[in-house]
Amino acid sequence: MSHLSEEQLDQIIAAERGREQEPLNDWRTIAARAREEGLIRESDSSGYRGSSQPWMQAAAAILILIGGIAIGRTTIGLPTVTQSAVNNVAAATPAPSQPTGATAPAASPSPVPASDASFASVDDAADALNRALRDYQRASQYIAATNALTKSPDSTAIYTARAAAFDKIVNATESALRTAPRDPVINQYYLATMGAQVATRQMASVGMRGF
Amino acid sequence: MPFDQLDLKRAIAGDERAMQRLWSQHAPHIDAVVRRLCGDPELAADISQEVWMQIFRALPSYRGDSQFGTWAHRIAVNRTLNALRKIRRIAKLEIDIEDDSAITENDSDRTFMAESIEQAMNRLSPGARAVFVLHDIEGYTHGEIGEELGITPGGSKSQLFKARAKLRTLLAHLVDDSPTAGKRKGHVAFV
Repeated sequence: MSHLSEEQLDQIIAAERGREQEPLNDWRTIAARAREEGLIRESDSSGYRGSSQPWMQAAAAILILIGGIAIGRTTIGLPTVTQSAVNNVAAATPAPSQPTGATAPAASPSPVPASDASFASVDDAADALNRALRDYQRASQYIAATNALTKSPDSTAIYTARAAAFDKIVNATESALRTAPRDPVINQYYLATMGAQVATRQMASVGMRGF
Repeated sequence: MPFDQLDLKRAIAGDERAMQRLWSQHAPHIDAVVRRLCGDPELAADISQEVWMQIFRALPSYRGDSQFGTWAHRIAVNRTLNALRKIRRIAKLEIDIEDDSAITENDSDRTFMAESIEQAMNRLSPGARAVFVLHDIEGYTHGEIGEELGITPGGSKSQLFKARAKLRTLLAHLVDDSPTAGKRKGHVAFV
């Protein structure tokens, strides 16, 4: 029986040492085991599609939306954050303490805590929110058309930036809707965001046309 | 992408993406040593899972005083040898050279030489294979192998001598002048 020489064996070993080999398992198998043992934290897992993620995006979206409303009102001289959408809801809702349709003067805001707003049902509250958002859009469009402040380079830049921010919110709410297409709250966020986005674009274009 | 300290912290915190990066970077080498030590690819795949779980569990203890690959490699060798001991593979008697029980694998991507050396290694006793893999492929010293396997350095040398002698015979067909071997000679660089 023939034999390799020691040198020939060494050459084979050197080739084997340098040989690339595929991993024995795929990552999914390893990740499944790691998840089973609690080594992977679900919230930090990018590959994991948890139900909480779209909700967090939706929550972030509404925060940005309300923030955007507050900034917008500040920049165009409307009541500031203390009279946010919640207050508008309360103002637009028929309530014993406030006449229907009455809004507080901009110069003397009288914020109403959300807990004080009384609604007969969730549907009532949702209707009020819809009305408030419609009011916001109409008021924004009116101001865009008439207020000289909107026709400045600064305001145009602000509205353009806000429109870009709304694009991101729309993406987030669309993502949330894909996960929970029938969820009324997310649908509300989505519609409100779309409305605000259109209004903001109109304001931005009015501002640009003014120069 | 290199595995950096930030990735390490994220992996320790359970970030899947960071863990996957770590695995992607080191799995080829780590799994190769597991495969060589085991011989049996299915068993190697199972043990590799255990190895990676152990690496992830031990991540917080990694101090950074050695290369991560070296540290992980040690875990892989220890874990694999422990697993093999558990299933009493290490204690098995050497398989006779003429025995035909070698585990074969039909993987068209493998080169003829790679297949040949794997098959030849599978014909070694588990102990001789472990010594051969650790010394000749992974670069361990006989002292280190002795510690890993619980044998003396002299015992390690003896096992290596036997392993190499067998491999020289088992791989002789790579240089044989038989018509079958001749056809395949072209695959072997050194011939």
